[in-house]
Amino acid sequence: MSTAAVEEVPAPGTRRSTTWVLPLVVLILLGAVWAYVHSLRMDSIEARSLAAEVVLTALWQHVQLVVASTLLTIAIGVPLGVLLTRPRTRRAGAVVLAAANASQAVPSIGVLVVLAMVFGVGFWMAVVALVLYALLPVLRNTMVGIRQVDPALIDAGRGMGMSPTEVLCTIELPLAVPVMLAGIRVALILNVGVATLAAFTNAGGLGSVISSGISLDRMPVLIVGSALTMALALTVDWLAGLAERVLRPRGI
Amino acid sequence: MSDRPAPSQDAMIFLDGVSKHYPGQAKAAVSELSMEIKRGEFVVLVGPSGCGKTTTLRMINRLVEPTRGRIFIDGKDVTHADVDSLRRGIGYVIQQIGLLPHLTIADNIALVPKMLGMKRTDRRRRAEELLELVGLDPAVHVGRYPKQLSGGQQQRVGVARALAADPPVMLMDEPFGAVDPIVREKLQMEFLRLQASIRKTIVMVTHDIDEALRLGDRIAIFGPGSRLAQFDTPLAILSNPADDFVRDFIGSGAPVRRLSLLKVSDVLASFPSDMPSLANAIEVDAGETVHRALELVLASGAEGIEVGGAGGTSRYLDLQSLLTAAAQPTKVLS
Repeated sequence: MSTAAVEEVPAPGTRRSTTWVLPLVVLILLGAVWAYVHSLRMDSIEARSLAAEVVLTALWQHVQLVVASTLLTIAIGVPLGVLLTRPRTRRAGAVVLAAANASQAVPSIGVLVVLAMVFGVGFWMAVVALVLYALLPVLRNTMVGIRQVDPALIDAGRGMGMSPTEVLCTIELPLAVPVMLAGIRVALILNVGVATLAAFTNAGGLGSVISSGISLDRMPVLIVGSALTMALALTVDWLAGLAERVLRPRGI
Repeated sequence: MSDRPAPSQDAMIFLDGVSKHYPGQAKAAVSELSMEIKRGEFVVLVGPSGCGKTTTLRMINRLVEPTRGRIFIDGKDVTHADVDSLRRGIGYVIQQIGLLPHLTIADNIALVPKMLGMKRTDRRRRAEELLELVGLDPAVHVGRYPKQLSGGQQQRVGVARALAADPPVMLMDEPFGAVDPIVREKLQMEFLRLQASIRKTIVMVTHDIDEALRLGDRIAIFGPGSRLAQFDTPLAILSNPADDFVRDFIGSGAPVRRLSLLKVSDVLASFPSDMPSLANAIEVDAGETVHRALELVLASGAEGIEVGGAGGTSRYLDLQSLLTAAAQPTKVLS
């Protein structure tokens, strides 16, 4: 027996050694942009567009858009996914998944514009569009995560006297967590990108920096807007990776 | 009510004409099956695949709801009882083991006690106790995850988990099917020793007749079409198979297999007590199997066996008589 004692569960996420790479890339990117902007002799339009207050406000709006839409996506996608994997609703699950797949195929700018035309513009309208867009990965991964749970485990749970709710909470959900987290991570990254389009419906965000760079024909403004969006996406991905590592149940 | 059969006093599990008919299937998976399993008895359900043995097992804890018939456990009709509390009182072991990979061994074992409201420290102590019982070192294993254990160790934990709430009844669905043959035999023997001390009422399903003969107090052989072909002790089944199906199913070698089920005392009973004494006999306990007695005789080159009786009187049996008696099932058993 003593020989077996040396076996160890491989640490979840064997990429531990590389966690510092992403933040390093972000820092280099931000440093490069900073150096670039400060090496310029800016005209008044550039100076106004790149004022710290303007850029930080846009960044903050962007973060708000992403956080609000992702939270809403989880709040809708996870319960819906759970509901659609219950024995009674399994059939409906296929239909909803197909619809969600189709909605993903629609270009995001189209969704935004149509929604803006129907419901008007503003922050919450943009959030609704982002939720519609990011729902698929969360919903699909919740369903896939639950369905891939070994039926023998559910049989064992039922056989020892767990109610369907206890089976869901002690067996199905914990074992679906890694797949669900992967879906949420995809939704987050999608939202960071798609939220730049929210500028077109007057919801602010880093998209407004980018679009003013384009419309004013000022390359430095455009570059700052894009670089910040990239840095934000990478940071969010890094944080989501850390969260995945912490939240993933041990032993699987 | 009075005209319907009721379980006898010492019945632990009583199936009264249970049937299972799946919608969309022409034939019933199990039809009109009645069985009585006594307290502390180890019954093995065996038969070819599709014979309804697993369905029968799963109807006892109602993982499969019977279409017709009644199920009694410990004298109570549980056909319509609350399934969850029913199942918490029945240990359940499956071939796939089914340990939850995200819980430690201790937490896996303590699942049912936790549902029953046992306190954390008590659960921990119970888990350690049970690990000890199934032959795993608690100090090493409590905090481990299932993945870190071998298949054989995992199934020991599976058995420990089924025993956690000390249920009077255990259901086992091919519990030793997933481990390699050497480990399987070891687990079977260990389990028999364990059962000798805990005396649970056990119903086990297997498709392996040798496993059934080795483990069961009684064996229920299911034939095609979910017919209960024979339900009797291993010795009786080997000696007097009920029909051709049973004879085919137990296969060749039945006379040789009987040797390890027959006791020396069984054989002695069919001989007069004044058999001539032998000069060169090897002493054998009356409780030994005939198989073991033959082994000793052949290994030592003795003429026969000497069985010590009460008051210093010994009885003798030569090799030929031993073999003849062992080969005549009906005579020995009648």
